[in-house]
Amino acid sequence: MSNIIELINAAGLTGRGGAAFPSAIKIKAAKENKARLIVNVCDGEIGAAKDGWVVANHLNELLEGVALITSGHAKPIFAAHRDSTTARLLAAAGLKVLEVPHRYVSSEETSLISLAHGGTARPMTKKAPFVFGGQRSDGKRIRPTVVLNAESVWRVSQISRRGVDWFRSYGTDAEPGPRLVAVGGFVSTPSIIEAAAGIPLMDLINLAGGLDPSVRFVGVGGLGGILLTADEARSAIWDTPTMKSYGGGLGPGIITVWDPRQAAAHTAGAMIAYGAGESAGQCGPCMFGLPALSADWNAFAMHPGADSHRRLQNRLTLFERRGACAHPDGVSRFATSALRVLGPELLQSQPYFAGGNQPTEVLSYV
Amino acid sequence: MSSELLWYLSRATGVVSIVLLTVVVVIGMVTAGRRRPHADRATIAAGIHRWLSLGMTVFIATHIITAVAEGYVDISWLSVVVPFTSGYETVWIGFGAIAIDLLVTIIVTSLLRHRISERYWRGIHWASYGLWLFAIIHGFALGTADQPILQGITLACGVVGGLAASWRVAVSHADTDRRQEIKSQEWV
Amino acid sequence: MSNARAVESELARIGIDRVLCTGHGICARTLPEAVALDEWGYPILATDAVPPADAKLAVKLCPARALFLR
Repeated sequence: MSNIIELINAAGLTGRGGAAFPSAIKIKAAKENKARLIVNVCDGEIGAAKDGWVVANHLNELLEGVALITSGHAKPIFAAHRDSTTARLLAAAGLKVLEVPHRYVSSEETSLISLAHGGTARPMTKKAPFVFGGQRSDGKRIRPTVVLNAESVWRVSQISRRGVDWFRSYGTDAEPGPRLVAVGGFVSTPSIIEAAAGIPLMDLINLAGGLDPSVRFVGVGGLGGILLTADEARSAIWDTPTMKSYGGGLGPGIITVWDPRQAAAHTAGAMIAYGAGESAGQCGPCMFGLPALSADWNAFAMHPGADSHRRLQNRLTLFERRGACAHPDGVSRFATSALRVLGPELLQSQPYFAGGNQPTEVLSYV
Repeated sequence: MSSELLWYLSRATGVVSIVLLTVVVVIGMVTAGRRRPHADRATIAAGIHRWLSLGMTVFIATHIITAVAEGYVDISWLSVVVPFTSGYETVWIGFGAIAIDLLVTIIVTSLLRHRISERYWRGIHWASYGLWLFAIIHGFALGTADQPILQGITLACGVVGGLAASWRVAVSHADTDRRQEIKSQEWV
Repeated sequence: MSNARAVESELARIGIDRVLCTGHGICARTLPEAVALDEWGYPILATDAVPPADAKLAVKLCPARALFLR
C-alpha cells in the first residue's frame, strides 16, 4: 500500500479534470500534509458527463481509490452539483457530499475548497497549491486540501488492482492510460467512451454514431476548449500535441459535435455570453473583460469587417493569466479558436450582412 | 524649558496634529472611494497617506510629551494611554487617550499589513474614522477652547472631514458595484 | 549575455492577487516598465521581474494590498 505513489508515478497517471498535472506529485503532497480530499464529481464543463458516470458505474472502485489515497485520515468529501443525480447517488451511498451551486466556476478546484471551508463556491487566488494549506485573499485560513477528479481517483484503484503494465498498455508513452471521453451534441448516440490518447478523433465520434455529412464544426473541451472544422476533426488525433496545434488540449474529455442547423457564430456567441455571465465577480479583468469580449464577438458576428475583427482580436489578448482562476483564459481560448475557425467565412460574408443597403438580389442569393 | 513654553508647544503641535490627521484621513477616503482615470493623482495620494501618517506621529508625540511635561495641569503617562484616568479634564483627555490607542493600533497593523489577515487589517482600519472623531472632539474641547483661531482650525477640520466622510458614503465606482452585483447571486 | 543574466537574477518577482485588486492603477505608475493598465484600470503585466527597490515601494503603495513579492 505504501508504494501506491510509486505505482501511480510509474503508471504516469495525470489529473483527468483537464489540467493533466502528474497525480503522483499531488497525492504525495496530500499524504505528507495530511490534506483533506475532495473528490470532484461535478462534471462542471459544458458537455462533461464522465465523472458522474464513474459514480454511477464504478462507485466501489472509486471508493477503493479514495482509501488508497487518504489511508484513513479525515473523511473525504464528494463534490457534486446540488440536486443532481450524482449527488443523490453519493448521498444514498452514505458519503459526505459537498453540494455545489449550479455555477460554471463553482466546480473549479479552489471554488470547491472555499465552499468546503464555509465560504462561497468561488475561486481563490492560489499563491501556492492549497494542498499545503494557505489563505483566502481576505485572510481566512485554508487547511491543507487536495481536489482530485473522480476519474483520476478511479484510475488509482485500477492501477493498484491491475498494475502499471495494464495501465500503460493504453494511450501513448507521453500520455499513458485509459481516459474517459464524453461525446455528445449532434450525434445519434451521445456516449461516455473509454478511450486513450493517440487514437483518431473520428474513432471516438464514430462510437457515438458518427459524423453526419452536414456537420461543419466539432468542439473539444467545452467552453474552456477549442473549435475544429469537420475536416480538421476527420484527420485529428486525440492527443495533446494535435490538440495543442489547434490551441487546446485534451481537457476534461469532452467532444461536442455542433448542430449544423444552428448558425455556428451564434452558438459560439451564446457560449461566450454564458461564460461572461458566469464570472464570479472577483477579478476585474474577468468581470469587465468577459462581457466586453462577448459584446465584441457579437459586434463582429453581426457586422463582420476589418474594424470589428481587429477590435475582437485586440480584446482576446487581454485575458492571459489575469484571473484568480483560469476562467477568463478558458473563455478567451475558446473565443480565439472559434474566431480562427469562423472568422474567415464571417469576413467573406461581409457584403451580405454588413450593410443594411445591400442590393436585394445579393440578399436573395444568400 | 519653561512650563509656559511647553504649554504653547503642546497646543501648537496639537492643532498641527489635528490638521495633518484630517489630511491623512481625507486622502485615505479619497483613495478608497475613487478610481480611474486618476492613477497619477492616486499614486501621489497613496504616498502622502502613507508617509504623512507616519510623519504626523512626530507632532503627536511632541504634543503628548509636552502636555505631560508641563506642570501647570496634571496629566500622567498612564492617562495618555488608559482612557478616563486623568484627574484633569477626565473625559476630554480620555478621548485623546482613545485616539492614541486607536492610532497606535492602526499604524502598527498597517506596517504589518502583509503579515496579518487582510480582514483584520480592514476592520481595524475602519476605526480611523473613530480615531479622527475622538481627536477632533479632544482638540475642540480642550486646548483650543479659549483660542478662537485654533478653535476655528479644529472646526474647519471637522467640517472638511465630515464632508469627505459623507462623500465616501455616497460615492461608488464600477469595481465595487460589479462585485456587489455578482456577489448577491447564488454562490453557496 | 552573462551580464544580462546577472542583472536578471537580481530582479524581484511580483505577483498580483486579482481578487484583491480593485484597479487603483498605482502600480502602473510605480512600476511603469512592467505594468500597463487596461481600459478599466486593471494591471496588465508585461513582465513580473522588476528592480527590488521599485517592487518594494510598489507593494507598499498598493492600497488594495493586491501587489505582492513572490
